[in-house]
Amino acid sequence: MPLSEWVGAQLPALVILVPLTAAPVAFLGVRLGRPVALVSALMSQPLAIALALEVAREGVLRYEIGGWGAPLGIDFVVDGLAATMILVTSVIGLLITVYASGYFTDQDRYRFFWPLWLFLWASLHALFLSGDAFNLYVCLELVSMSAVALVALTARREALVAAMRYMLAAILGSLFYLLGVALLYAAFGSLDMATLRGAIRPDVTGQAAFALMTVGLLLKTALFPLHFWLPPAHANAPSPVSAALSALVVKGSFYILIRLWIDVGSPSVAPGTAHLLGVLGSVAIVWGSIQALRQERLKMLVAYSTVAQIGYLFLLFPLVRAGGVAAADAWTGGVFHAVSHALAKSAMFLAAGTVLARLGHDRIEGVGGLSRRAPLTAMAFGLAGVTMMGLPPSGGFVAKWQMISASVLSGEWWWAVVIVAGGLLAAGYVFRVIGRFLGREEAGDREADTGRSPRTMEWTALALALGALVLGVAGQPLLDLIPIGAPALVAGIGVTP
Amino acid sequence: MAEPELRSPLAVRAAALAISGGVGALLIRALLVLPKDEAGLAPLVKANLDASGVKNPVTAVLLNFRGYDTMLEIAVLVLATIGVLSLTIAHSDKWPTVAEHAAPALSALARFLAPAMVLVSGYLLWAGEHAPGGAFQAGSVLGAAGILLALSGYARPAGMTGFALRAAITVGFIVFLAAAIGDMLIEGALLEYPADHAKTIMLAIEAWLTVSIAVILASLFISSASPVEELRRRIRGGR
Repeated sequence: MPLSEWVGAQLPALVILVPLTAAPVAFLGVRLGRPVALVSALMSQPLAIALALEVAREGVLRYEIGGWGAPLGIDFVVDGLAATMILVTSVIGLLITVYASGYFTDQDRYRFFWPLWLFLWASLHALFLSGDAFNLYVCLELVSMSAVALVALTARREALVAAMRYMLAAILGSLFYLLGVALLYAAFGSLDMATLRGAIRPDVTGQAAFALMTVGLLLKTALFPLHFWLPPAHANAPSPVSAALSALVVKGSFYILIRLWIDVGSPSVAPGTAHLLGVLGSVAIVWGSIQALRQERLKMLVAYSTVAQIGYLFLLFPLVRAGGVAAADAWTGGVFHAVSHALAKSAMFLAAGTVLARLGHDRIEGVGGLSRRAPLTAMAFGLAGVTMMGLPPSGGFVAKWQMISASVLSGEWWWAVVIVAGGLLAAGYVFRVIGRFLGREEAGDREADTGRSPRTMEWTALALALGALVLGVAGQPLLDLIPIGAPALVAGIGVTP
Repeated sequence: MAEPELRSPLAVRAAALAISGGVGALLIRALLVLPKDEAGLAPLVKANLDASGVKNPVTAVLLNFRGYDTMLEIAVLVLATIGVLSLTIAHSDKWPTVAEHAAPALSALARFLAPAMVLVSGYLLWAGEHAPGGAFQAGSVLGAAGILLALSGYARPAGMTGFALRAAITVGFIVFLAAAIGDMLIEGALLEYPADHAKTIMLAIEAWLTVSIAVILASLFISSASPVEELRRRIRGGR
């Protein structure tokens, strides 16, 4: 069999195996961490692109691990949503890797960053491809373990306290999810999501399982009011880690939630619950934005902005269940929001990391005049802010446009009000930072600036912010990819061929 | 510094009680209506047992049918250890040493027990093919032997720093991964063992897993001996 054909058939396995093999190598060779991570990051790009093209051409792919096939074995399932998430993770992962190679000046002390980061990357890919409810639990554990260790990496007091809190929340979330999986298996006899879809009944067991899994995953996704662990963990982690956590890790548990709710369990969940999730999402948008406005530290502001932006994702639940054309718009818009937020938020955290590296602090009051000394970093933050506010032509605008259109079409116009209000609040906290960047230097601000910001750090943040912006005008291929193989609830109304 | 107050306020404790009581009641209700005739995947496992290469259904599921899960679970163990090591090394570049003054009774006991534990571990590994046992059980016993030796002063964890330790921690995972990738090249799918060699491959994976699991458990125990105090001190306040 020619190599290209073999690679084509093995693509789902290869996107996981590249970072998964690189991780132990980076751990074994003390000085290999950085080069191995860069090679793995570069190799992931063509694989992720090829996988997306394959799904765009062939439709949903299934890969039987061990040759057994579900439900005895475990299958990878690659639909448009999975391929999109892999693509986004790969692109952001590459830029974070390049940024981190400039960020950690003491490579020896932080040598365990590389294996932990590669494990995190591999486990995100594994999570997005898994078609098995128990395997998803293992993936969640891998993601949480590596994320917690990365938060604690500096061993500073605030980081350790935040990591500890994060770990307790993450483990509690995983265990709730696992309890639900155990109930599902006991009642319906399978762990394969596609088999469960046909077997699940809306009885007490099915509903209890869903309630447990949902609470666990909401805790991991940090939806208001279960967001308490997120701001300190995301703000006190090293900045490349903050970017990965806010951009990608919270999306992992959200991804399982939409698979469960909209695909597997659609008949067994009451519509009232979907509205509850929408209401919590709305409160998260308002509450997170107000908290962001009140923060003194740049990274805390960005972290609270994540709490707010997560809220938008949950508007997907009521909007999809409203049915009709609205469901298709809500599905594509919600996933597109996850993508553009991932790009913009990682850009913001990387830019904030550069500020921190230059000034030694990230107090918003003390960043006056930085736009003249570090124009690229200030620009990256500003452009990412455009997506965060949802202004045209950014990816955030397209996502919000789709969601607003869904809420108007479904007649549930009040979600549109929340979306617009959230954009205004975002403008408030973004301009608060930009205003200081452009503003006057206070005495001593310039002296505090070490001027250390390698090009690898400034340009990667800018590239991500530009990516979020360009998504608005060149996002059509992604908008076509996302609905491929979408759940019946979304696709059943004739939007996808 | 005085011990901080560990007791939560009454309202918090009452809320915790109410929530866990509610979840408990929900669980009990869900369990009461579970179908009695749901056999799950057991018949399917039984039907394919011959093709798996081993006679113990648990081993067949863990190493073959759902071997991918097990491979990722080993990665979880490796990750946890890297996480602990990263903290241990971040604040002191020394692998913590173990007290050298062991009690005489302890060291005598260790000398009797350790060889027997190694033997039991080997037996459990072999028995896993047809009876309860396997790498996790064998690794736990072997790891316990390591901890016993360290506590009684026979093993010198201080000498275990560097590459040897890292290699021992990862070897099980790497062998598993190599087998998985080899199967892709030979049979066409991740972890699709060649039928004639399935048993041998699984035994080889399990043997190396035993080593890694033992070292991981022992090093988690030993490395948490001193840094935990240090970390706790930092969390409570001051540097």
